[in-house]
Amino acid sequence: MANWTQTSKELLGPVMSVETWLPTEMPEYAQGFMYMLGSLTASSFVACVGSGIVLAMNGAASWSYNDAMRFVAATHFWSVQAFFFFMMLHLWRVFFTGAWRGGRGMTWVLGAIAFLVAVPTAFTGFLINGDLYSQWNAVQAKDGINALGLGWVNLSNAGQMFGMHVVVMPLILTVIIGAHITLVRLKSVVPPYPTGRDAAEPTPVGKGGR
Amino acid sequence: MAVGRTDMVHDYRMVPEDFVKHLLGTLVIVVALVLLVSALFSVPEAPPLTIRGYARTQPVAFEQMALRALDGQGRIADYGPPYNHGTGSLQSPMQAAVGILHPINAATDFILKPLTMAAVINPALIKPLATFRHASAAQQAKWETAYSTALAKGVYRHGRVVVAGTGYGPLPSLMNATLALGRSGLMSGALTRNGAVVTRFNNQNYLLFLQGDPLHDKAAPLQLLGEQWGIIHPAVPGYPGAWWMTIPTWIYQWPFVAQSPAADAMALSLGFGVWLILALTPWIPGWNRVPRYLGLYRLIWKNYYQDQASEEGSSQTAGNKVGPMVGSQ
Ligand code: HEM
Repeated sequence: MANWTQTSKELLGPVMSVETWLPTEMPEYAQGFMYMLGSLTASSFVACVGSGIVLAMNGAASWSYNDAMRFVAATHFWSVQAFFFFMMLHLWRVFFTGAWRGGRGMTWVLGAIAFLVAVPTAFTGFLINGDLYSQWNAVQAKDGINALGLGWVNLSNAGQMFGMHVVVMPLILTVIIGAHITLVRLKSVVPPYPTGRDAAEPTPVGKGGR
Repeated sequence: MAVGRTDMVHDYRMVPEDFVKHLLGTLVIVVALVLLVSALFSVPEAPPLTIRGYARTQPVAFEQMALRALDGQGRIADYGPPYNHGTGSLQSPMQAAVGILHPINAATDFILKPLTMAAVINPALIKPLATFRHASAAQQAKWETAYSTALAKGVYRHGRVVVAGTGYGPLPSLMNATLALGRSGLMSGALTRNGAVVTRFNNQNYLLFLQGDPLHDKAAPLQLLGEQWGIIHPAVPGYPGAWWMTIPTWIYQWPFVAQSPAADAMALSLGFGVWLILALTPWIPGWNRVPRYLGLYRLIWKNYYQDQASEEGSSQTAGNKVGPMVGSQ
């Protein structure tokens, strides 16, 4: 086989390049609020991680009996709400612009996986809050988890859920979001659909629309 | 992937952009927003249902619940994998294949072991415990049925639940001792203990002991039950819940799902199916062209199309337009 280092160098070159990550120009159509939604989602994720680190440092349940920690817990809670809120708006914007066209299918799939993984990430967080909501969701949701043959994930084991929520799920999500954004940077954002005269041209069957 | 030549424009310009400013900008917006909303609304926290609290406020119902753990009528006693060999909540072959990962014998783990520990402090318990243990299964069942009927009319008096009649064997002593343990607050310790390690991370038995009526009675008025779209409702009304679970929650309401004994397995599998459609959108013929037909993109790219039109209007020079420059392969 070829030289692995050489191959890695070629593959990683564009991924690690400053040109990729610090562009000084953007396509003219990629302007305005609609194009901020992905960054707003990513920023909310950063806020989740930041507030989560403060919570983890102070120990489980500190947020239930310490006023300062309660405020941090509030920022964590609302960061999560912001994260999903912006993610949904972002999802609509990329859907309505058909942003998987032009070889961007994998970008879309990684976004969808990020959404899928974000759900249990948030859920395990609800489970370790320690209030009625945690308690109720742990006993209710266990039936679904057990039915799917995932019984080793014990929702009523707060220690396991703490590890899942604080280490395992955020790490996985970080990797997926990282890959998603890397692809966006490498491929740039999708150009608009043609309108007017161009759009009237017949689109090749089986190829168009992508 | 083949790229249709006519499904995207190729004549656009690159315009200057301060990317770092953009990223810091969105971060500042989010942080400011989050701090503001946190200061205004704090965080929803509904006080949990504790064993002690339930034993104190609902002593009769507490004994009924404890008796169901003892006589095998409770939800966990006959649940099935991963807790035991029951079949009550066995929904799929996958569930069975997992085996018994977190073994629970409801009678022993929820009632008899805690009472055995309590007997060290209260030796009066030693005799009724021995009587119960040494009785035949048929005898135990007879006492349990009789006491269960009697409890329906039980009244709480001076720390005990009193029932009419006799013929319940040692059960009144045992159940009232469980009630006392619950009221003292010591029951939670008895349920979350782990003989092997000093950390107390696993509150499985604590939560599952309360899982039947106690939690359901508390959840119903808050609209938290599955059939009330409970997955997306918060425990503190007025706050947002897990609204991003709306589609699976909706699937739970479909009659053939709701009425199935394997409702959870079905709802989650169907929910995953919906997600698959979302994830595979780029490759689903027809569906992947819906946004083009919807035309909402005209609003999103309104400025671009306007500029383009006005430039075409003022005729001339396609020459000053350049193609995409950033890594479009
Ligand atoms: C974890 C959540 C997500 C984060 C942090 C995120 C982040 C981003 C960012 C920063 C961009 C570039 C800027 C923009 O278009 O706003 C982007 C683009 C994109 N995202 Fe996401 N995204 C997430 C979820 C999703 C989901 C759920 C999907 C779809 C299923 C998706 C599909 C896409 C696509 C197709 C693009 C390319 C847009 C284009 O070419 O115009 N993303 N994402």
